[in-house]
Amino acid sequence: MIRLDNIYKAYQVGDISLPVLRGITLTIEEGEFVSIMGASGSGKTTLLNLIGCLDSIDEGSYFLSGEKVLGASSDQLAGFRSRHIGFVFQLFNLIPRITALRNVELPLIYAGISSVERKNLALEALENVGLTDRAHHVPAQLSGGQQQRVAIARALINRPRILVADEPTGSLDSTTSQEIMRLFQALNQGGMTIVMVTHEEEIEKYTRRIVRLVDGNIVS
Amino acid sequence: MHFYLDRLTLALYALRDNRLRTVLSILGISLGIAAVMAVGTISKGGNYLVFSELETFGLNSVWVYRDRQDKDPHRKVREGTGIDNDDYQAIVSHCCKAVNRMSPFVRGREKLIIQTVNQYSNADVKGVGKDFTLINNDTLIKGRSFRLKDITSNRAVAILGPTAVTDLFGETGSPIGKEFRIGLRKLLVIGVLKAKSRDFLASIGSSGEDANNRILIPYTFYQKILGNKAINQIRAEAISLDKAESAARQLIVMLRRGNDKHFEYGYETMTSYIKTTDNILNGVSIIGIVAASISLLVGGMGIMNIMSTSVLERTREIGLRKAVGARYSDIMLQFLMEATIISTLGGLIGLILGSGSSILLAKLTGFPLIPSLTSIMIAFVVSVGMGIVSGYWPAKRAASLHPVEALRYE
Ligand SMILES: Nc1ncnc2c1ncn2[C@@H]1O[C@H](COP(=O)(O)OP(=O)(O)O)[C@@H](O)[C@H]1O
Ligand SMILES: [Mg+2]
Repeated sequence: MIRLDNIYKAYQVGDISLPVLRGITLTIEEGEFVSIMGASGSGKTTLLNLIGCLDSIDEGSYFLSGEKVLGASSDQLAGFRSRHIGFVFQLFNLIPRITALRNVELPLIYAGISSVERKNLALEALENVGLTDRAHHVPAQLSGGQQQRVAIARALINRPRILVADEPTGSLDSTTSQEIMRLFQALNQGGMTIVMVTHEEEIEKYTRRIVRLVDGNIVS
Repeated sequence: MHFYLDRLTLALYALRDNRLRTVLSILGISLGIAAVMAVGTISKGGNYLVFSELETFGLNSVWVYRDRQDKDPHRKVREGTGIDNDDYQAIVSHCCKAVNRMSPFVRGREKLIIQTVNQYSNADVKGVGKDFTLINNDTLIKGRSFRLKDITSNRAVAILGPTAVTDLFGETGSPIGKEFRIGLRKLLVIGVLKAKSRDFLASIGSSGEDANNRILIPYTFYQKILGNKAINQIRAEAISLDKAESAARQLIVMLRRGNDKHFEYGYETMTSYIKTTDNILNGVSIIGIVAASISLLVGGMGIMNIMSTSVLERTREIGLRKAVGARYSDIMLQFLMEATIISTLGGLIGLILGSGSSILLAKLTGFPLIPSLTSIMIAFVVSVGMGIVSGYWPAKRAASLHPVEALRYE
């Protein structure tokens, strides 16, 4: 499902090119639950963003569900994200001014779904993460765990094939973290492919496969 | 539709977060639009004022007369008006394509004594033909106009302006059928003219005479009083305003031919007055348009400022929107809509201010100043345009943000 071959990625800082990923080759099959681990600055977020079609690859090849990602325009990448990818972030990234329901609806707006259908789907998605009664709360009225569950509902609403999560428990206490991870496990058992970045050992045990990054290379 | 409604509500949140700047920008745009509408009202009002007064002369009327500055200075200056009854008859039977109707116009050099038994008038006496009242846009409020028989048989009948009526017969009762004297001759009143207003023209020094203090009599009868066959002017009505000049030239050609080129002739039409008016109104309009542009500029810069701040403050939000599938055009459209909402709101207020004041002015002055559909359309187009123009750069910057960079933004 995800086929990365000899991927290179460098950031341009002024005149200097800062290599971050140096020849990553990685295959992730449908239904896998993978955690990417590594020291801070080892390139985990960079790799995840590439998998999530959020950033462009310098070199190498990437096929997502058989579609060639390398060389796609930024609007085409937006299309890939809209169709295939659900994002979960460490800092939730909810829009503060609008309700949980509206936040969850957001991806559907850009997928061109009508407002009635959007509302029904969003309510259903909130129900799936156990937040039906919080639909009309704004993010500031929700706890960290609840906000992350709203974000997960948002990530799932487009029925993506891959859930991409960057330190999803990084801002949560351990009880809440375990709740979120159990939610991920349940999703994975339902067939969802999940790629997650974490550096916490007790989180990694929920996943079935671990990819370790050191200085932009996969070591195991 | 739902697609736009979503963006509308999102846009409104952004405006709520930037209240002061939003209000200032709306103010700028609304003043600008109000000024644009005021320009429309002023030129409309001015045109109405001038045209309605020029119409008191007959908008298409042409005056032809002898030009006393005869071209050749070595020639002996000739006496006379340069037009007589024979010239007029020749013109009537042969002329002119651009002329609809015409009338001789006779006025004496000296003031005649005009009186009833115990009341006097200082009115101007004009000797005219049957169609003069039509050419000169005179309406009668009482009695009748001249008939052909009045002219051909030089009957002692008269049509009086309202001031002359009051001076000779007082305020009460109808003067129709009453008699008065011009010099030694007795005349019968057959009609009374409606009052005319030429205040505006008088104020720019173009009125000439008091239109309400006139006495019209058959030119043939006036010639009998004066004891000659001279005509001072030919008053004609051209078939249209455009044709006024050519009507004048056609008449002059006839007159020169009939008099063996002894005299030079001049003419006057309303076109020159209309040109002067246009110049004044254009001047006023330019001042108004400059004021409007400055207001619009201030409003536009305000919008640009709000939008730029808004884009900066919402960088992470933009990154998130892109992460969940927003394309370049989605972000572009969202921010353009926000900018357009501010400007259209301003435009709407300006429209209400502008049309409100011109409707009020219309009520007070009685001028037809109701804002036209065109000026409303212009106001609308300008305000939507302002939104798009001033929102374009901020929107473009938002839409061009790299999603990863935007999400990393603190
Ligand atoms: N946009 C960027 N511009 C420049 N350098 C960057 C950028 N993003 C990340 N980096 C650098 O790339 C390296 C890898 O970053 P990242 O993938 O975020 O690591 P991790 O998520 O493993 O902590 C770090 O050294 C980071 O400073
Ligand atoms: Mg990271």
